[in-house]
Amino acid sequence: MKILVTVKRVMDYNVKPKVKPDGSGVVTDGVNMIVNPFDEIAVEESLKLKEKNGGEVVVLSIGTKDTTTQIRAALAMGADRGILVLADGSVDPDAAARLIKAVYEQEKPDLVVLGKQAIDDDSSQAGQLLAEYLGLPQATFASKVDVAGKTVTVTREVDGGLETISFDMPGVVTADLRLNTPRYASLPGIMKAKKKEVKEFTPAALGVDIAPKVKVLKLEEPKARQAGQKVPDVATLVGKLRNEAKAL
Amino acid sequence: METRLPANFILRLREEFPGDVITTEPSELAEYGRDWTRVFLPAPSVVAFPRTTEQVSRLLRICSQARVPVVPSGGRTGLAAGAVAAHGEVVLSTQRMNRMEPVDTLGMTVRVQAGAVTEAVHHHCAQAGLTWPVDFASKGSSHVGGNIATNAGGVRVIRYGLTRQWVLGLQVVTASGDVLELNGALEKNNTGLDLRQLFIGSEGTLGVIAEATLKLCRLPGKADVLMFAVPDVAAVLRLFRAARTGPFTINAYEFFTDRCLARVRRHRNLASPFSAATGCHVLMEVEAADPDALAAWLMKVMEEGLATDGTMAQSSQQASTLWALREAISESLSATGMPHKNDVALPIAGLEAFCVELEQVFQHRYPGFEIALFGHIGDGNLHINIMKPDDLDKGPFLVRTREADHELFALVQKHRGSISAEHGIGLLKKPYLHYSRTHDELALQRAVKMALDPLNILNPGKVLDV
Repeated sequence: MKILVTVKRVMDYNVKPKVKPDGSGVVTDGVNMIVNPFDEIAVEESLKLKEKNGGEVVVLSIGTKDTTTQIRAALAMGADRGILVLADGSVDPDAAARLIKAVYEQEKPDLVVLGKQAIDDDSSQAGQLLAEYLGLPQATFASKVDVAGKTVTVTREVDGGLETISFDMPGVVTADLRLNTPRYASLPGIMKAKKKEVKEFTPAALGVDIAPKVKVLKLEEPKARQAGQKVPDVATLVGKLRNEAKAL
Repeated sequence: METRLPANFILRLREEFPGDVITTEPSELAEYGRDWTRVFLPAPSVVAFPRTTEQVSRLLRICSQARVPVVPSGGRTGLAAGAVAAHGEVVLSTQRMNRMEPVDTLGMTVRVQAGAVTEAVHHHCAQAGLTWPVDFASKGSSHVGGNIATNAGGVRVIRYGLTRQWVLGLQVVTASGDVLELNGALEKNNTGLDLRQLFIGSEGTLGVIAEATLKLCRLPGKADVLMFAVPDVAAVLRLFRAARTGPFTINAYEFFTDRCLARVRRHRNLASPFSAATGCHVLMEVEAADPDALAAWLMKVMEEGLATDGTMAQSSQQASTLWALREAISESLSATGMPHKNDVALPIAGLEAFCVELEQVFQHRYPGFEIALFGHIGDGNLHINIMKPDDLDKGPFLVRTREADHELFALVQKHRGSISAEHGIGLLKKPYLHYSRTHDELALQRAVKMALDPLNILNPGKVLDV
């Protein structure tokens, strides 16, 4: 089976983000960038499916030239080849979904696997929009994926429990946290990844207009938390809750 | 020898200090009377938690007048029982002496109280882009005072050296309660004997460290964390030979055997990045100016078969997971069994020959025992842990290890090594000190002790007997 898996370049989540002084975004200069962790899980699941069923795993990312690093990271884990759609600036979930759709139409994979959301904007929209635009079935928030013949069975994490659904390929799956533990890239894998093909496209070449439909007006740091207070006894605590916090 | 407190001694301490400074609570006595070793039963009479140098001085003056022994105590993460109080001593804990002054970014120094936690110092200095490069697994608990008193080693010694190199000034309280300011914040000070160095690594036997001016360096650049699978210790050394000439600065070069890993898996449920069992894992952290040169070097390592498998962390999360495998070993061994710990150092060039003979000692002394071997092999430092078999009682086990230690240390002596690379001597290694120090050296050490602590009230019985 042929699998198209997407990876997004995001800030390392161990880095504390700083808002740019003009509020137009967060500072990314000199900040360590990684593969979106949910996408890493999507890559791992794609590799597992390939190991079981044979086929090919194609990694797709959207971003500047630097994003090649994240594609290579997925290739180092074992994916076969990469596609980079070159785009400066922010690409909103709708534009991303339409770009992935364009690549889908070129590649004709059996399955598209995405992370359920990216940890930078937490939108959780690209997978759903993609399925809609393609008119394909979608199984989001997957915690278990099984493939038998043409049928994909997915266990989803939903409010109040687990839901099991199935569809016939082609279709779209988005990966949740407990789907798997991504493997480490082996050194031989990292070496091989350097020689694997990464094709580049522009949005124009794919016939997609990525002008954002969503405009970010302003980003602000959350208000600094006030320091805690120690109170000598319960009476003072109740007094403060009533008079200062107005919580009682 | 049991301490006999003079009449009303504890009452006098309570009168002398604020209410929360002195405690005789049994649970506190048990807790503050021991370190990470579990060989001796803690039994101090009193625990004192001074906040200031003045209180430390007053406490020592009183103890000195009353001839009551004092055990200085920091984060109690020691592995040689140097902070164990088993004979009714007064424990002087630096727990509440944790004030840190602002970082001097021009002089690249910071002055802290002895009870500042090592990791807290790191966080404090990181805000100024600086660090105190003394770093090891127990940094979340250990105190700066303890680091200095034990001249602590750790995982970055290969790049930065020991604690000794990163202390500019010391404020020390002597046994009689006098306060010494040694060297201040001077980088250069060529005025006679450098007494500061005498107290570094003295394990609380010469004076109590109250404050320190630490030398800082810039935070290291972006590091790459690599892990390799190799079959045995000889292969660990072969890979190290290649790394020595690699196109990078080595921040750390650590190794551990599969046995250590199995214990880590039992305790912390962390898994190796490699699917197959390998023999040994090497963890290497490097700072490479040129990533392509590093990649080329790695390619050569794999092509030449210096490692059977390897991985490079792709995110800071992966890097810390790889480090966790190494740093969890010590706690995992203690949590899942009873290790008898040895911490030996060898000249690096002689490590391989030593390891061959070490294997013979194991076969002779510990047939069928589980031996967990790990360490900072880039510094020539091996941690040898003999695990107590479940069907052997603690008593006979300790008798056996005591006998075997003589054979081990004779081997260390033969290869011109040290019987304690970084753990210190404390109580645990005292009977073996002569394997690493000559008769003349020991006599001089005694003379120094007698000059600084003539009443022998500072951590008596530790390191050497007077």
